[in-house]
Amino acid sequence: MTIDEIKELLRVFNDSGVGELEIERAGERLRLRRAPSEGAVLAVAPAPLAPISLPAAPAPAPAPQALAPERPPEPAEQQVFVKSPIVGTFYESSKPDAPPFVQVGDAVEPGQILCIIESMKLMNEIPAEIAGTVVAKLAENGKPVEYGQPLFAIQPR
Amino acid sequence: MFKKILIANRGEIALRVICACKDLGIKTVAVYSEADRHGLHTRFADEAICIGPASSAKSYLDVPSVISAAEITNAEAVHPGYGFLSENADFAEVCETSGLKFIGPSPEVIRRMGLKQVARAAMNEAGVPVLVGSKDVVANLEEASAIAEKIGYPVMLKASAGGGGRGMRIVRNAADLAALLPQAQAEAAAAFSCGDVYMEKLLENPRHIEFQVLADQHGNVAILGERECSIQRRHQKLIEEAPSTAVSAELRIRISDGLRDALKTIGYTNAGTVEFLMDAGGNLYFIEVNARIQVEHPVTEMVTGADLVKGQILVAAGYKLDEILPFDPGSPPLRGHAIECRINAEHPETFTPCPGRIAGLNLPGGPGIRIDTAAYTDGVIPPYYDSLVAKLIAWGANREEARARMLRALDMFVVDGVQTSIPLHQRILNHPDFIAGRLDTGFLERTAVTGPHSRDI
Repeated sequence: MTIDEIKELLRVFNDSGVGELEIERAGERLRLRRAPSEGAVLAVAPAPLAPISLPAAPAPAPAPQALAPERPPEPAEQQVFVKSPIVGTFYESSKPDAPPFVQVGDAVEPGQILCIIESMKLMNEIPAEIAGTVVAKLAENGKPVEYGQPLFAIQPR
Repeated sequence: MFKKILIANRGEIALRVICACKDLGIKTVAVYSEADRHGLHTRFADEAICIGPASSAKSYLDVPSVISAAEITNAEAVHPGYGFLSENADFAEVCETSGLKFIGPSPEVIRRMGLKQVARAAMNEAGVPVLVGSKDVVANLEEASAIAEKIGYPVMLKASAGGGGRGMRIVRNAADLAALLPQAQAEAAAAFSCGDVYMEKLLENPRHIEFQVLADQHGNVAILGERECSIQRRHQKLIEEAPSTAVSAELRIRISDGLRDALKTIGYTNAGTVEFLMDAGGNLYFIEVNARIQVEHPVTEMVTGADLVKGQILVAAGYKLDEILPFDPGSPPLRGHAIECRINAEHPETFTPCPGRIAGLNLPGGPGIRIDTAAYTDGVIPPYYDSLVAKLIAWGANREEARARMLRALDMFVVDGVQTSIPLHQRILNHPDFIAGRLDTGFLERTAVTGPHSRDI
């Protein structure tokens, strides 16, 4: 991940209501967690951070993964993750020049198309399953996603 | 040479392929189901992609998920391991059309070898001895009856399109044939979408002996000796060894020559295993071809010095056998003796599967010991896949030394938290029949090593 990507992630994360976000890609793992409010109890599991690469540097070494199990990311209270049902490439709009299907802040209805995941040259439209507001877009346009990877965080209505 | 290979498997075989790729400087992509999120193969591959939920059908067997994972990681080749998609000709074909090299035989060869009756006919034509039986698929009861009379009961009905014991029925006399034939056909249809069955003479308590094949893409075929896999329970192998005490040098050469010709004619490439049964008279009869790398490949590696999985990758990359094998492919060495125990997470007497968390693990070392495993302390054996904890392999200068080393290693192999088959392996290896090499597929029943608590063999 580049510094710019991390800055963008932080901006999106701060603007959203998401409490904790973990992204793992190509051997690097980054976890962002909002400072706990008074009285909240958090299970703290420090995640090893991959060395941040500067633009001129070669690809960073993969982060050593602990053998002990780590939990996949959980959405903040009352929010729901839209997770990828397949492996493929995430596209936020129907065509390169078209506007994204949804933006952060949009209201969505069940059945409304949120994004496309391309797999083996087939474009799969991914619909929302609930009514609510898009609180965060968690996948990057044109980048690979795996099964179960969070794509959006939705605040149900 | 490939730059990146995706491993379409899990557990110890995924790690085995990672080993070969690391040796060759090839990057690896692991795929995993949600149940295998902390599987060891995800840690040691360069990249890991979650491809589905725990169910095999929706993850490791899901062709679009596996292909998609290869696409998004830019893998150039796919190694299917054993089980799962390894003998799925459709998957091998989809790999090809997706621009991925499938590390195994061609789709056509996989398809042909998967039709047991076709493989049998091909071997027969090449002069490899086959069990007397029907020339083709048995069309109806009349035909079955006539063939059975000619062969002589007892006979075995077997599914043409698959194995693993499904679609198989033992028919001991003419009176039972009318009931059992439709049963076999229905089971075959349900399991393999093809109700075709053929018939073979039944050998009572044969020895199970198989030959290892490695063929390059230039028409060269090497036969790398045999393995004895007679100690089984319900068609699942428990202990394998190389070489077999029942195969003389002369028999080995004769069968190897026949197989080399047969497989060249078939156009076989990459790794494979040719299975035989041996009758009480010491005669070998062809049963089937497994067009993949097998679980027990390490015992062949130990006695020949070949690295079979590395060999698979090099074959797929276009290398020739004499570049791949560290010896003359026409006369593989046979040095010492190797035994493998499949240590499963099961009750050693009742065989109830015992998935769970490994609380403590000690893997034995010492001379002549090799362990292929994906187990680790705090690791989990999930209930969705096979129950293999580890493959424990012992090599010795002779069979007795291998056996003694295996017993030593079993003694020092500690798995806390799940029950394992270690006590069963110890009893088998200490049994006078095993020591004397008196092996056959009825071994467990005959020797009653499973003990008084076992409900059935």
